[in-house]
Amino acid sequence: MIATKLGEFYRDKDKRWLSIWVAGLLALWIWDLVFLNAPALARIEAAFVNTLYAGALVVFMSLVFGWAAGVGLHFLDEARNRSPYIVLTFFLNVIRSIPQIVGILIGYVVITFFIEQEALQNQYAQLFWMSFVISLFVFLEVVDLVRDRIRYFAASDFYPAMLCCGIRESRIVNIEVLWKNSRAHLIHKLIAIFGSAIFLQCSIDFIISVGLSTDVSSTNFPVTLGSLLAKMDSKQDILAIGSLFGDLSVFGRLLTEHLQGVSVAVVIVFSLLCIYQISNGFVKRNSL
Amino acid sequence: MSDLSFNIRIAVGGRTLVDIDHFRIRENAVTFLFGESGIGKSLISRALFGLLAPEEYTITVNGEPYESYLCGPWPAAFQKNGFFVFQEPSTHLNPLLTIKNQLHEGSLAQAPDEAPILRQLWSGMEDKTVRGLLEVFPKPYRPSGGEKQRMLLVMAFKKLEMMLAGSPPDRPPLFVFDEPTGSLDNHFRDLFLAMLFSRFRQRAFSVLLISHDYSMISHVQRAHADLTGSIAYKELVSHAGLLALQDFLPETYLNWLNRQHPAPPATGIMVESAPLVTVESKVEVFGRTLAITRDRSARSEVPMEINRGSMVYLKAPSGTGKTTIVKLMMGLASGSRFRMALGTMTVTETTPREVWRKRIWGKQMTMVFQHADEALNPHSTVEETFHGLPSRKKQMREDITRTLRELFDPEDVTEEFLKKEVRLLSGGQKQRLNLLRGLFLDTDILIVDEPLNGLDFESTTKVISMLQKKQEAGKGILLISHNEEIFDRQVPREHVFYLKAGP
Repeated sequence: MIATKLGEFYRDKDKRWLSIWVAGLLALWIWDLVFLNAPALARIEAAFVNTLYAGALVVFMSLVFGWAAGVGLHFLDEARNRSPYIVLTFFLNVIRSIPQIVGILIGYVVITFFIEQEALQNQYAQLFWMSFVISLFVFLEVVDLVRDRIRYFAASDFYPAMLCCGIRESRIVNIEVLWKNSRAHLIHKLIAIFGSAIFLQCSIDFIISVGLSTDVSSTNFPVTLGSLLAKMDSKQDILAIGSLFGDLSVFGRLLTEHLQGVSVAVVIVFSLLCIYQISNGFVKRNSL
Repeated sequence: MSDLSFNIRIAVGGRTLVDIDHFRIRENAVTFLFGESGIGKSLISRALFGLLAPEEYTITVNGEPYESYLCGPWPAAFQKNGFFVFQEPSTHLNPLLTIKNQLHEGSLAQAPDEAPILRQLWSGMEDKTVRGLLEVFPKPYRPSGGEKQRMLLVMAFKKLEMMLAGSPPDRPPLFVFDEPTGSLDNHFRDLFLAMLFSRFRQRAFSVLLISHDYSMISHVQRAHADLTGSIAYKELVSHAGLLALQDFLPETYLNWLNRQHPAPPATGIMVESAPLVTVESKVEVFGRTLAITRDRSARSEVPMEINRGSMVYLKAPSGTGKTTIVKLMMGLASGSRFRMALGTMTVTETTPREVWRKRIWGKQMTMVFQHADEALNPHSTVEETFHGLPSRKKQMREDITRTLRELFDPEDVTEEFLKKEVRLLSGGQKQRLNLLRGLFLDTDILIVDEPLNGLDFESTTKVISMLQKKQEAGKGILLISHNEEIFDRQVPREHVFYLKAGP
């Protein structure tokens, strides 16, 4: 019975990769527990937790902003007064026109300003605003999806049939279309946004940590996987991988002596790969 | 004459779709198979014809696995000399081949020339126009549904001609027609039946004709009375999850039909002199002009009025724009010329949507859409389908249950049924639920588009009775239906309007 259930669980690609992700991270953590020094392990743990926390916040905020903006645009589009629709569309298009990395960097500058003014000291509040900035540049994907789903149902008899029965349009859109018929689509989008959030976070944190910006630095931001990867000792660990090409005997030392950088790199790459596979599996399982 | 009898079980993913003992087809006879949409008529016939993929379903036929049945004599015999006309013509035709090429594909290449069949099925149309159709690569909207359906019938008739030209095969060939007239009006339906029976008179063969159109019975009884002994009427019914094939006595339908008459005038309700709704006779929409007329010849254009307690019947050939007109009335389409008086209010092509939202939808008017599959939320439960309807802030479960019992077997309306997702219902059950949602509301005007689609005889009679009750309660009903035989008896002639498409 248990074997059958496990077999069924394992057949679904998304569930399989979710278990691979968890098992892989657990194995790495045990390995680090044995071979990595305690302060470095604590840094990796904090960076991982912070990155996941920020990623989850980005997902949550993108869902809230995307749902609100998508539904808002739908209703404004139908209103007789077109001005609010045009203003909101213009505002969203402005965000759309800014490259994500540039936009997030500008947001980080603002956050740094508040940190320097000592108006933003709590580490979780800092992570909250970092996530807010990232979600501001990724939530448009949810807006587009929400609008697509509403348009799809509005074009079939589904939406007008409910309208004719006098069912409130807000109920049709929010409950009937988005909640009951688009949950899988939204979850898939949010998985992709979670991956993007981790990628963007790591990229930006790495960029600011290696000093491309003079206004922001890794010293005044909570530690994340990206900023930890940019630290000198991590970079040395990563460089050690290169010496493998000349001397294979380095491999053993790599897994026991250069663990901070290698672990962080593995967590980032392995997580992104697993999220990608989970997302693909989810699409397949739900026939999206 | 003997029977071909089969015991069939079909399941998918552990869910039983069909379980029937003694599915009988009379050999060398025409079997009309009626039954509610989604009950399993098509699935059973496809299984017997050997058209289902064994890897997708768990199937047993006469106790043997489907793989064994496929290797047995029946599917080969059916396919070699018979033909299967699919319900949905678009899925049958290959969009990458011209229709002409498809008429000569496979064994059809050896069949006699199709020109005489085309002339018969396109009676009254120029040869040049029909020949033009043969060069078309079929697409979703071209040729029309009716033309595609007739092309499939041409293929079936070619195969029939081949079979009739040769010596009788050892095993009886089977011709399955799955809703062969679903996209045809009564003229072409009768034409098809005449062509089929004329060939049947040459030499008998086995036909399984699946349909929801019970009015075929009266036509066949009237026009092909000489074949009564070679025609069987069957109905597929469900009892406690098991299917049964029952004889359907033509008298059951014919006697019921003879008892039908317009509903009596509403009693105890003040019948106002002003109509509930009046639609101006000329409408312009999507660059076309539509005119509402009193007679089929479209000589006298008149406004369409719906009064309290009356049922108005709007008729027109498929594709003329009947559904478009009612969508305009419901504010779901925008025309360039449209005027409707709704009580004291005048609605035109410029009336904002807000008016419909605040004053019309679900309050004064409601509409039951033609395709229940699209009109209902597949991920809602049966009970949730009634949630959110106006004027009943919290739908009491008892009200919903009572309403459901009007069209569903009371024993079936259980807690489990209320919690069942709509996507798991059969096509006929969805149609009944779709109708009930509209009938649940207390609007003065009810528009019903093809209300008998996919229903079995029992549900048909119940729906007619419910519509009559609405009339008796003083509601006005606008009806669109191709079931002319049934509704011509419900609606007095002065309440019948015709729609004519202009340039």
